[in-house]
Amino acid sequence: MISTGMNRVDEMLGGGIPKGSRVLYSMEPGVNGQLFMISSLCRAIENDLSCLVILPHTTFETFSNDVRSMTAGLINLSSDNIVFIDSIDRERIQKSSPHPDSAQQEWKARIAKVCCERKIDVIFVYFDLLFEDFGIENGLNILELGDCVLKPTLILELLNLEGEPLLSRFIHDFSFDVVISIKSSFLTVPHFDYFTLVHTSWSPQPVRSVPFVTAKGRIVPYIPRIVVTGPAKSGKSTFVKNASIEGISVDRMGSDGDLTTGVMDLGLLHWKGFDITVYGTPGQPRFDTMIPGMFKHTMGVILIIDATKPRSLPRAKEMIGMLAERGVPTVIAANKTDLPGKMAEKEIRAALGVREDIPLFFISATSKDDVRHVLESLVDSITQIPY
Amino acid sequence: MYSYKTGIDQIDQLSGGFEAGTNILILAPPMSYADQLAYALTKPVTGEYAITLSTNERAAEVVDFFKVAGSDKRFIGVIDAITKSSTPSIVDTPRLRFVSSPTDLTGIGIKFSNMIEAIFEGDFSDGESGLFPPPIRFCVNSVSTLLMYRKLEVLYQFLHVITAKLKKIEGVGIYILNSESFDDKTLSLIKQLMNCVIEIKIEQDGSYLRIMGIRGINPVWQKFSVNKGQVTILP
Repeated sequence: MISTGMNRVDEMLGGGIPKGSRVLYSMEPGVNGQLFMISSLCRAIENDLSCLVILPHTTFETFSNDVRSMTAGLINLSSDNIVFIDSIDRERIQKSSPHPDSAQQEWKARIAKVCCERKIDVIFVYFDLLFEDFGIENGLNILELGDCVLKPTLILELLNLEGEPLLSRFIHDFSFDVVISIKSSFLTVPHFDYFTLVHTSWSPQPVRSVPFVTAKGRIVPYIPRIVVTGPAKSGKSTFVKNASIEGISVDRMGSDGDLTTGVMDLGLLHWKGFDITVYGTPGQPRFDTMIPGMFKHTMGVILIIDATKPRSLPRAKEMIGMLAERGVPTVIAANKTDLPGKMAEKEIRAALGVREDIPLFFISATSKDDVRHVLESLVDSITQIPY
Repeated sequence: MYSYKTGIDQIDQLSGGFEAGTNILILAPPMSYADQLAYALTKPVTGEYAITLSTNERAAEVVDFFKVAGSDKRFIGVIDAITKSSTPSIVDTPRLRFVSSPTDLTGIGIKFSNMIEAIFEGDFSDGESGLFPPPIRFCVNSVSTLLMYRKLEVLYQFLHVITAKLKKIEGVGIYILNSESFDDKTLSLIKQLMNCVIEIKIEQDGSYLRIMGIRGINPVWQKFSVNKGQVTILP
């Protein structure tokens, strides 16, 4: 397997890209997705794979500077293991072979020669101009090699101006093995990018989308806000605390002498390659005016209920009402199941009026494993939304 | 809805200016000062922001124009598509961003989004803030140069995305296209993306403009001049 250089993507692909595969990184205009290709290139270099990089749109020098600034100078492209064909080569080919057919032959001959002589493992192609100069079929034909070498892995980056139909052609007409579409929400605030694993040839996978940010030269899958809500004393603060690697809780003493959340709980979590921020709402009705604001821009909700207190369910149902219109992925965690007297699932669903397809887990929020299990289910739901 | 003043009294009084989401094509022959007119329409008033995609001039020259026209440079951004080819190591700043060449539509799209994002997040103007939501004027100088590097169909699709994004953020777009260097099909296709077309012609006694697509404005030829970012309709 060849690593994409992005752990979460490798995980989604079942460990990486099988050698000899054809991979497409499709980018919609404006999306900050250049690091996908760069990450794969950098990992290939780190793993001593021999690489051919085809950049018809720019010079090696400019590309090299761009990569250095994107990766904070961590990668040196002046390795013996990498060969570049850049915009200067493109100009030479255009001059020596003005006719498209002969230019196509010259491109093909050059690439085949490099691959044979250097035993290239991976070809990275910025495909836009080859596509424009020769069309999709002939452009891809340039990258088909003869019998002289083992089939290299082919990784393409393409500015996709045609949307889904173009992806479909890569999958069905040209048998690409992996298609990842990188898009932008282009909401004004907040702005976020996400990638969708559209296709893998070796195993049927659900279409999954994952929001991401770029930080320190890396693609970081990112879920900006998960809200944990539920009636007072259902265990939300404990849940947030056990979900987080760092966090704060703004508590104060309640009238019954117990601590209760007065503003919110906040937790930060790095998990399964994701950066996630978890907000816990107060459960007391007097704070209800705050809750719609906290649900704004939320990507997922965990409703915590006390599984031993049937009388708290009407309040939980009220809180479901506050988030129902938003249509964000929601899971329910029936907490305190380590105590006697827990309700049955059927009873809870009936009281809350929630459908069977909303996941419901019986947990103890004091158990980190239970908490992580709930988060895993929610993250799965979030990443399956096509946006 | 926000209105973008043109700075031309006769037009602003009749129409109130450009409605948010308007995309304007300036169709002009060579040497007709179309870029001066485009920059004058792009010049931000207080509280607004301006971004220029420059395929013909270096970023510093573009910023100079706006400074001379009296704009605060902290509200001016430039995507420079020419400097990097001669200075590959040049580094982006929040307001000046560089792409390798006008060929690089991927890079242009990314820098455009980055700047819009920076404006919305308040990271654009050295701590100064304009209006919110931010009114943004975007100028492409020029579509003609982009067409020399990329095919019409590709550029059409690319501009389709950009114009749609400008509508979404309620900005205005101003695009310069040489009216004499391209065939009717090209002109007609690019016009399809626009809500407003400003045609320029040169006569012996000076330059004339005609505005089509703004409510309240008659599409008649009017003599004009541009000086230090100020457009004047002449009698």
